[in-house]
Amino acid sequence: MVNLKNITHYYDNKSVLNNLSLNIEENQLTCLLGGSGCGKTTILRLIAGLEIPESGQITIDNRNVTEKQKLIIPPHERNIGFIFQDLALWPHFTVYKNIAFGLTERNEDNVRNTVFNMLDFFGLQEYSNKYPHQLSGGQKQLLAISRALVLKPKILLMDEPLSNLDVKLKRKILEHIRKIKQDFKLTIIYVTHDHKEAFAIADKIVVLDKGKIEEIGTVEEIKKSNNKFVQYFLEY
Amino acid sequence: MGRKLTTHPLSKVINLSFIFFAVMPIVYTLGIALFDDSLLYNLQLIEKETFTLLAKSCAIAFTVSTLSTLFGTILGFLLYKTNILFRSFFKLVLLIPLFISPYILAVAWKDFFFLFFNTTSFISSNTGVIIVLTIIFTPLAMLIIGSALSNISSQLEENAIMTTNIRNVIIKITLPLIKPALISSFVLIFIFSISEFSVPAFFGVKVFTTEIFTQFSAFYNHTLAIFQSLLLIFICISLLYLDRKHIGNSPFLSVSDKGMKTKNYSLKNVKAWSMLFLFSWFLISVLLPFIILFIQSFKNDASKFIQAFELLKPTFINSIALAFFGAILIVFIGFSAAYQSAVRSRKSFDWILLVIFAIPSTIYGISLIKFYNQPELNFIYSSYAIILIAYVGKFSFISSKLIANAIKQIPNSLDEAAQVEGITFFSRIQKILIPIIMPSLFTAFIISFIFSLGELGTTIMIYPPGTEIMPIKVFTIMANAPQSLTSSMTLIVFSITLLLITSLYFIVKFFTKKFSFVNG
Repeated sequence: MVNLKNITHYYDNKSVLNNLSLNIEENQLTCLLGGSGCGKTTILRLIAGLEIPESGQITIDNRNVTEKQKLIIPPHERNIGFIFQDLALWPHFTVYKNIAFGLTERNEDNVRNTVFNMLDFFGLQEYSNKYPHQLSGGQKQLLAISRALVLKPKILLMDEPLSNLDVKLKRKILEHIRKIKQDFKLTIIYVTHDHKEAFAIADKIVVLDKGKIEEIGTVEEIKKSNNKFVQYFLEY
Repeated sequence: MGRKLTTHPLSKVINLSFIFFAVMPIVYTLGIALFDDSLLYNLQLIEKETFTLLAKSCAIAFTVSTLSTLFGTILGFLLYKTNILFRSFFKLVLLIPLFISPYILAVAWKDFFFLFFNTTSFISSNTGVIIVLTIIFTPLAMLIIGSALSNISSQLEENAIMTTNIRNVIIKITLPLIKPALISSFVLIFIFSISEFSVPAFFGVKVFTTEIFTQFSAFYNHTLAIFQSLLLIFICISLLYLDRKHIGNSPFLSVSDKGMKTKNYSLKNVKAWSMLFLFSWFLISVLLPFIILFIQSFKNDASKFIQAFELLKPTFINSIALAFFGAILIVFIGFSAAYQSAVRSRKSFDWILLVIFAIPSTIYGISLIKFYNQPELNFIYSSYAIILIAYVGKFSFISSKLIANAIKQIPNSLDEAAQVEGITFFSRIQKILIPIIMPSLFTAFIISFIFSLGELGTTIMIYPPGTEIMPIKVFTIMANAPQSLTSSMTLIVFSITLLLITSLYFIVKFFTKKFSFVNG
C-alpha cells in the first residue's frame, strides 16, 4: 500500500531519516513507535507530501508520489487524511464548516447530508454550530477524525493524536479508531511514543530510533523482541 | 535540508514590483553619485565640513535613545508588570506622541516657553531637540519593552522569588531577560532620532539631516547631499544589522498581550510616586502640549483658528485618502513579506524592507526625486503616486513585523491540514490565514495609516507642485506665519489625528472581538 524505499531526510543539515525502507500493508493499523526526534512524524509528513525527501522513493498504491527530490503527486491527490498532533482545527470555522470546507461537492444539500452523516457517526450533530474552542478535548479529537474521513481517504495518518487526553478518554477514542478502521476499510499509520497505546491498537508496530528502524512486528513479536533498544524502550 | 513546498509566483511579482518602485531609487541614486565627476571634490568637502555635524547628530541621538529607553523601561514596567491603577488608559494615551507628527510637539513646546518665559531660546537649542525627541520616542521604548516584559513567563520570576528578594529578581532575572528589547529600543530610537528632520528644522538647530536638506534644496549640490546621506545610511544600517544579528527573531514590535501568564508586582509603598510619575508623563507628553496649543490658538480671538481651518480644509480629504490608500498598499506588501518570512522562512525580502526603513526620510526623498524625475517616469514624479511609493517604502517594514508576529503564532498545521484536503493556495490564504490574523491586519493598517498621515521627512522633499496635504501645508506655512496661526494649524492637525486614532482604536477593538476565535 505505502512503500518507502531508501529514504534519507535532513532538517537543518541534521539527519532525521537515514536510508530508511518500510512497507505499510493495506487495511492494517501500523504504529510508528519511538522517542522524541526518532523521525516518526517526519515519515508521516513525507507520506502526506508535506515534505520531500533528500533521496529515496515513496509509492502509494503502486504510484510513485515522490522521487529524486520531486513531488510527483501533491498532498491532496494522494487520497490521504491527516490528523495532526495539535489537531489543526480551524478556529474561525464552526464544527460544520470545519468538516465541509474540503468538500468539492457543489450541491449544498449533498454537502449538508455528507457532513451530517459524519457528525451523526461521531455523535457530534448537536455541536454543528459550535466553534472548536467550545468543544471538549474528546469532541475536538472526534471532529479532527470526522474532518479527515469526510473526504473518504484510503489512508489515515495520525500524529500522536491522543497525547493530550486522559486515560479514560484515550481508551474511548482508541475504540473509535479501531471501529472506523473496519467501517471505512482504512489503512492507518499511527504515530506514538507510548508503547501501551501502540499495544492497544496496532496490527503492526515499527520501532524507530535515530531515523532507523530497530524492529518491525506484531504486538506479540515486539513484546518478545531481543533487540536491546526495543527492550530498553519498553521498560519505560 | 527539509524542502519547503509551493512558492507562489505572485510573491515574486510583489517582491519585484517593490524592488523596482521603492528600492531602485536608492540603488540608482547611489550609483550615479559614485560615477559623478565631482566625486573627489565632494569627498574632500565631507572630510572638512561634515564630521563635526555628524558627531553632533550622533550625540543628540545617543542622548535621546538613552533617555527614552530609560523612561520607556520605567513606564513599561509600571504599565505591563504592576497592578497600578488605570493601566489600560495609560497604555493607550501614552502612545499618542508616537502617532502624531513630531513637529506638533515641537510647536507646542515652543509655545509653552514663549507663553511662560517670553523667550524660546532654551527650547530652540540642542537641549530642546533632545527634550522633544525624548518625549516623542519614549512611547516606542515603552511599547517594545512592555511587550517583552509581558512575554516573560511568570514561572521564571516566581522561581526566583522563592530564593531572593524582589529587587534582586528584577535586576538579575527580569532585566536580563528583556535585554534584547532594551537593545532594540535603543537602536531603533537612535536611528529615528538621527534621521529626524522636522524638529531640529523647526527649532533652527543645524544637524546632519538639515544640512543634507540644505545642500539638496538650497545649494542644489545633489552629489554632496548624497555622499552625506551615505554616511547616515551606513550608520543606520550597520546598527540595525548588529541589532538584528543580536536579537534574531524577537518580535520587537508586538501590540498584542497574547501569550503566557505573566507575573505582576505589587507596588505597595511606591504606588503614589508611581502614579505621580505616570500622570506627570501624561501631562508633559500629551495634555500640556494640547492645552498650550489651545491657549495660543485662541489667545486673542478665534480668527486665527478660523483662518487656519480655512487654510487646511482643502487638505483634509487628500491627506486622509492618501494615507488610506498608502496603508492598504503597506499592509499588502507587509503581508506578503510576513508570509514569506514567517511561513516560508525566506528572509531576503524582509531584509530589503528593513534596509529601506533604516534609510533616513530626507535621503529617501532625495532618491525618489532623482529616480523619478526623468521623462519616462514623470507620470509618477508629478503625481500623488510618488507620495504613495514613499509611504510604502518607509512603513512596509513595520507592517510586515506586526503581521509576521501574528502569523508566527498560528501553527503550520492549520495550513497543512487544508493543503492535504486539496484547498488551493489562494483559498487557504483567503479563508484560513487572513480571517485568523484579521486583528493584526487591522492594527497594521491603522498604524500605517497614522504614520502615513503624519509623514513629513520624505514628503517634504518629493511633494509635487500644488499638493494639498496636511503636514506639508502646515510646515510650509509655519515658516512665515505668525505664532498663533502656526499653533492653530498644529492644534487642528493634532485634534484630527487624535480623533482618527480614537475612532480607529474602537474599530480595531470591535474587529479584535469579532475575530477572536482562539481564546473564546
